[in-house]
This record gives sequence, C-alpha cells and structure tokens, in this order.
Amino acid sequence: MPEDRDWEAYKVPPTRTPESERITSVPNPITFIQTVFNYVIDAPVTFVREWIERQQAKNKFYYYHQKFRRVPDLSECLEGDYLCFYEAEAQWRRDRYGWFDQEIVEIVRERLGACKQREGPNQFQNCAKEMEQLAQVTKAYQDRYGDLGVHGNARTCLMKQKHRMMEERKAQAKASQ
Amino acid sequence: MAAMSLLLRAAAGWGAGRAASGAAAGARLPWLARAARLPGTVAPVRHSSSHGKRMFIIKATSFYDTRFLNLLRFYVFLTGIPVALFITYVNIFIGEAELAEIPEGYIPEYWEYYKHPISRWIARYLLDPPEKDYEKEMALLDVEAKKTELRLMQLEARRLMRHRGDGPWYHYETPDKNLVDNSMKSTPDN
Repeated sequence: MPEDRDWEAYKVPPTRTPESERITSVPNPITFIQTVFNYVIDAPVTFVREWIERQQAKNKFYYYHQKFRRVPDLSECLEGDYLCFYEAEAQWRRDRYGWFDQEIVEIVRERLGACKQREGPNQFQNCAKEMEQLAQVTKAYQDRYGDLGVHGNARTCLMKQKHRMMEERKAQAKASQ
Repeated sequence: MAAMSLLLRAAAGWGAGRAASGAAAGARLPWLARAARLPGTVAPVRHSSSHGKRMFIIKATSFYDTRFLNLLRFYVFLTGIPVALFITYVNIFIGEAELAEIPEGYIPEYWEYYKHPISRWIARYLLDPPEKDYEKEMALLDVEAKKTELRLMQLEARRLMRHRGDGPWYHYETPDKNLVDNSMKSTPDN
C-alpha cells in the first residue's frame, strides 16, 4: 500500500473560523450526509482494512535503509587504477542520484510547496526562509552537477570542479591586484 | 434488445419502402435515409411471420475476430488469474515490511533492504547479493586492466626490438655467406 505522507512534517495551523450560532431550526444537511458517509463507506472500509492489518500483524518483518561506507574519492585514485575508478564512480552515482543530492533538492522544494499551500496569499512574506533555502540548494546543485549532461560521470564532475577552482583563483588574484 | 430489433426492423421496412418509392425522395431528405441504415446489406426474406418482416443481414464475417479475441482472453487469463490471486494473497496476508532503524550491532542481510515480500524473496533466492555483483564487476575490470597493461607492454617491447635489433624478434633469414660468388670483386680492375 502506498504510504501517506508524514503529517507531522508540514503541519497546517489550526483554523480560526469562529463558531457561528444557529439561526434557523432546519437541521444542517451536512451532518446527515456525514452520518450516511460514515455508515455506508467509512465503516466497511475501516473494518476491512483493520482485518487486513490484523492478518499482517501476525508475522511482522522490517526493512532498513542501506548505509554505504565511504570509499576513496576520484581525486585520491592513482592513474590507471581502474578498480579505484569504479568504486569512486559508484559512490558518486549514489551521491548524486541515490539518496543525497537530488533528494535534498526535492525535499526542500516540497517544503516550499507546502509552505505556499499553507500560507495562501501571505506566501511571499512568510515563506522567505524556505525560498532562500531552495535558492541556495539549487545553486549549489547547479554548481556541482549543473551542465554535465546525461553522460556526466565522476570524472567530468571532477574536471568541472577543477575549472571552478581555477576560475576562483583567477578571480581572487584579480581582486587582490 | 427486443425493442431495439423491432425498432431496427421497423426502420428497415420503412427505409426499404422509401428506397422503393424513388431515389428522388432520398436526395431531398438524405438524413432520413441515413437514419434507417442497418449494418451491412439488408435483403428482405419471405415467410414473414407475425413479428413483421424478417431480414437477412449480409455483412462481413466476424468469425476470425471473435475467435482471436476469445483465444487471447483465454491465454491471458490462464496464467493471469493465478498470478493475480497469488499477488493478492501475498499483499493481504503477508503484507509489506515496515521501515525501522538498523539496531545496534546488527548487520542486516542483503534482502532485508527491500520492502515488498516478493522482492525480498527474489533478492534472497534468485539473485546474487549486491556485494557479490560488485566484486564480479571489479574482477572483470581487473582482468581487462591487466590485459590492457600487457598489451601496452608488448607493443613497447616490439617497438624497441625493432629499433635496436638486439632482441629475439625481427630476425630475418639471410642467405649463407659461403654461397656468395666474390669473383667479380676479386681483382681491382673489374
């Protein structure tokens, strides 16, 4: 079954609509619809779901997130050491596509989306922190993995980093003159 | 359905009457003639019983189409239904795994990183552990790396032996020096 998202992560603030007083004596049709919904749809579905969960609770088993050891990076590999290249490449792929960089960007974007949804018309004022965070994270991702293309690998990323450092050094040298 | 067939028959009878009355009527009111169209050609048949005019509808055969669709459904469901039932059973009675933190000092087996019980079963009994796959790829790379190294060394050795001429390669057969006739160069005046 697909899981619900984490309700605690993006909590909606409690509504501030005031309690209104009944003016008419006509009963609220919404309560009737709610009871009908409860008896016709909610109760049977809940019953079936709980029965299924009782069956599944008899033998529980767990799964874990795999933690990988860090291996020497591509910059620490000797030339011609193809095994070292392979391990560094695998680690770089795990970092980029696996659970780190792309997922971080996704999570920060979701947070901004949730903030906008919560705040409604106040989003431009109240979500400034999340926007700032998203801008920083996407800029960092773009700097590191930006124009590598679909065939980018650890080696091209290292070359990009080397060029970035050279440009920084040139800029520093120019600034200090 | 019976009402539909009655309606079709009535329309066909009326349409046949109109077609018999003349093409001019059809040309003036083409939408009427179109409304009375049945699938295929309609040929009126004698021995009309009490239900009105019986029609013999001539249309292209659908025998092959229906046979194909029946066979397709049969063969798809032959294995499809048992597989669907099995998967439903697994999802209801065994259920998916729950996410947990790795307990202290415990190294999970490689199949315990999957959620669905069928994926776990496949990873456990059918596939190799990912560490083994990793090592297999590294072994392949190692063999290929050694091969490239040896090939480069062989090329270098060949180049040097050809250049210096002091190695076991690049020896060419030359004729024996006893066979050479030196009589042309034996006197200085030739």
